[in-house]
Amino acid sequence: MGNERGEGFGIWLARQLRRQDMTQAELAAALGITRAGVSAWITGRAEPREDKKRAIAEILGTDEATVHLRTVDAPAARPIAWYHRPAHADGGREFGNAAAFAFDADLAVLAREATQNSLDERHDDDHPVRVRYVLHELSGEHLRSFLDALAWEDLLPHYEVAAAQKQKVGGVIAEGLRDLRETDTLLLLRIDDFNASGLTGPEYGDGRFAAVVRRQLDSHKTSGHAGGSYGLGKATLWATSRLGLVLINSTLSTPHEGRRERRVIGRLDLPWREVDGQAYAGPAWLGEEDTDPEFKGVSRSWWADERTTERLHLSRVGSDPGTSFLVVGAHDAAGDAGTVQEMHDKIVRSLAENFWAAMTHGEATAPIMEASVTTLRNGQVLIKEERVDPHAHEPARCRALKAYLDGGTVDHLAGPEQVALAHVPLTVPPLRGDKGPGVDHRAVLLVTPADDADTKPNHLVCMRGNRMTVSVRRVPDLPMGTNPFQAVLLAGHATGARTEDADLAEAFLRASEPPEHDDWNRTEELAARYARGALSRIRDFRREMNTVVRHLVARREQKTGGGPAVLRELLRLDGGGTSAGRRIDSHPTVRNVDGELDSSGAWRVRVEVKLPPRDDAWVMMPVAKFDVRSGSKPSVRWAELVAGENCHVENGHLRFDARMSTASFSGVTDVASHPVPAEMARLVIDLQKARSGAA
Amino acid sequence: MKTLMPYATLAGEVTFKVAAAKLDGRDLPLSMLSQQERVVALHQVERQKWDEARLDLRVRIPEAELAEGPWSDVVCVAVLTEGVSNLRTVTRLNRSADGTWVGSPTLARDACRTRAELSVSVVATVDGVPGRIIGGSEENWLVDVLARKPVRQRELHINEVDFGENQKPYEWLHAFKDAPWLVETSGDMPTVHLNTGFEGITELLGSGGSTMEKAVRGLIAAQIATEAWTAMFHSAVSDIEVAEDGSLEWPSGWRDWVLRAMLPDVLPDLSPADALSEIHSRRVETSGWNELQPRIQYAASRRARVAKNLGTAIRELDRSDEGDQ
Repeated sequence: MGNERGEGFGIWLARQLRRQDMTQAELAAALGITRAGVSAWITGRAEPREDKKRAIAEILGTDEATVHLRTVDAPAARPIAWYHRPAHADGGREFGNAAAFAFDADLAVLAREATQNSLDERHDDDHPVRVRYVLHELSGEHLRSFLDALAWEDLLPHYEVAAAQKQKVGGVIAEGLRDLRETDTLLLLRIDDFNASGLTGPEYGDGRFAAVVRRQLDSHKTSGHAGGSYGLGKATLWATSRLGLVLINSTLSTPHEGRRERRVIGRLDLPWREVDGQAYAGPAWLGEEDTDPEFKGVSRSWWADERTTERLHLSRVGSDPGTSFLVVGAHDAAGDAGTVQEMHDKIVRSLAENFWAAMTHGEATAPIMEASVTTLRNGQVLIKEERVDPHAHEPARCRALKAYLDGGTVDHLAGPEQVALAHVPLTVPPLRGDKGPGVDHRAVLLVTPADDADTKPNHLVCMRGNRMTVSVRRVPDLPMGTNPFQAVLLAGHATGARTEDADLAEAFLRASEPPEHDDWNRTEELAARYARGALSRIRDFRREMNTVVRHLVARREQKTGGGPAVLRELLRLDGGGTSAGRRIDSHPTVRNVDGELDSSGAWRVRVEVKLPPRDDAWVMMPVAKFDVRSGSKPSVRWAELVAGENCHVENGHLRFDARMSTASFSGVTDVASHPVPAEMARLVIDLQKARSGAA
Repeated sequence: MKTLMPYATLAGEVTFKVAAAKLDGRDLPLSMLSQQERVVALHQVERQKWDEARLDLRVRIPEAELAEGPWSDVVCVAVLTEGVSNLRTVTRLNRSADGTWVGSPTLARDACRTRAELSVSVVATVDGVPGRIIGGSEENWLVDVLARKPVRQRELHINEVDFGENQKPYEWLHAFKDAPWLVETSGDMPTVHLNTGFEGITELLGSGGSTMEKAVRGLIAAQIATEAWTAMFHSAVSDIEVAEDGSLEWPSGWRDWVLRAMLPDVLPDLSPADALSEIHSRRVETSGWNELQPRIQYAASRRARVAKNLGTAIRELDRSDEGDQ
């Protein structure tokens, strides 16, 4: 940050006076000047001379440089502390943040929602937004030091009261406290983004800061293509914390109060509670008590020093704009990720599944987003930074998108790595009240053979905007025997085009999405904004995309075989006894053979036989042959045959008892009859019908 | 029939797929490959003549098991075989960085008659003996040089032609111009010639019509099919070969399949191998061959579903009789 100049002198001085509960008249008196003189500084009409600045620094209890640079506040008369909102005057009680309950505290959902926000808030469109997840397990002294920085002793009474309540939140908090006490460990999850807007805007008025920190149910949309940036999704941050506690440090893309770096605040969501005879509404903020008379008693963000951000585990690398959220007491309520390794993997998987498209780039283009996950324990690296590689998780889909970005697509598939491209027309109808025909947009459809390990092939992913996934569906009505594939549809801005038709298609498709942004279908907005027939345009589009996929993957239908179907049916070869049905063997068969070579080079075998039920005994000849690749297999003689269960040896033949279903025998081959040494050949055991002439 | 190995072999699976194919250096559309049925169809209308097909193979073998077992000098090979033409080519594959084995076995058009089977073997040195097969693919691929569609199941050729027209190459059918159909079993695939010159037969065997027409259609189809299966069985039996040591060899191609499908109906008490020798000895020794004819007739009619088709026709007749009264 260096020597950058802070905010204007007047604004800075006014805030310092408020912070110290000092009036302009009091300052004037202390300096020995008129009140009008101080007023002129505050309104910006004049700036004090150097000797006066020195005097002001002394009165405010700071050094001269601070007054000169004005990048930080003079030592706060108001310490950084937790401010709990008093209960509603009407006595209303809330037992948890409603928005937090709309989402499951699932790490996969958190990664999706938080990252979508980062993506929507990309600052410089020529560079990727960088998202970094850090899991950090604290214990012992590291934990103690963090809790001290957090003023844990002040929070504890509130937690204990909240944990004793019977509501769902109470249970979660109780579990969190118990875990902290018993294991003496606490898991922090940090989500950083860089090259993003940061939490800009005033403390309470409209802006990104207030949208995140103040208004839990507000969806503050900035860019036109946002799928709900800082909308309800931010509540997942608090839902993931067992303690309902999230700390925030933001570097702003546009200054506020003349500052950009280390805008810090903490927000705690607890249910209504009574502590020491005082009733509290729910939320509490870690910050500075506001000096503005209008917000007296409310806490506000403060411009922290580097030492504070470090102690709160909120230090950001570099000065790129963006925000760091620290989820204190992170857990995965979905329950499938218990260990930090599992949580690490789950976040990686979720990022890859939801943002593979934004992370995929062509030879000459940068991705929209990069992401990584790291796991630490007490400041030491436990699992080193893992850059999320979309190709490792979604090979076929990434291949399809990359081929499109590089212009390497084909018309027809002829290789396992090829990507076929076709266009799907979308007619965007005019707005209600406008005349004239619709505008034609050509969505891009990509199809590529699925990877071998792919367990969900034959799906079509629909995307728009900054390549956010709207839906993933199985393509219906595929012909039997279609080779497994993956398909990607890029519509509107996802095509990469910034043409008029792409803009119109983007707006039209967004209007056809429900609040969950997971479908293109009938919505009220669609009906209200667009001319009649809008719904059928959407339906045509959906039907057409499936048709184009089927066309790209289908076998070219050619007349084969010929002849009447009724006859072809009866003349099929192979295909496993279609007409006659499966037969049960009605002759003895070898069910199992077990054996080894003995020291003399003879095979010693034990054979189990399966017998079809019959009233007569079976007389069979056991045959041992050396297996060869082609031609007849040379037989070898038996040196010894021993009857087993339901079996008698008679004159070199086996007699299996009547009405039995199994039999067994064992035997040793005659080494003298081996055409080659036994260890050089495979041995086959078979049963043949006993011939009267034989033996 | 069970096999014992005198040395250590792989327990894990060897799997492979044909990822792509080229005909004389040109890419074959992927739709000519079926990953489900494991078939490559190489016949294309656009390219009647080609000399060489090149198959792009990806093989997975149980790497972990191999690393711990008593095997060394492990090599993976692709094997193309066809019984009729006695084709057998072996192509060495290469191990790629990710552990899969890849390679491009080629198939010369001249070397193959109809369909070749493509399998993979793993060869290694075991107990000091080099070149032993220690594993192989169980689910193999078919490379069909005549098929236009990659399907495993095969149907007989049905040739619809006017016997009376003296058309090339069917001049020989002219002699049978009053026959409604004829079964030919001499080629690589049996063919049923349907005489379109026989008035009404095309319409009768075509689709649609009343339930009565459908019943008659089934009956005629069963009749043609019975003749076809009977002819195929006799053709297959006449193709059984006797090896030098007197043992019998199964014929190749469709004849092998016809015998394996029909013998359990012809000689139900015998294992396939015993049935083969029984049928061969009865034929050459001229004793018992005539006694076998009803059994062959029975097996053919089962495949042609005569009983079912006749039953349908009789029921339909009954119903139409009732309607008349």
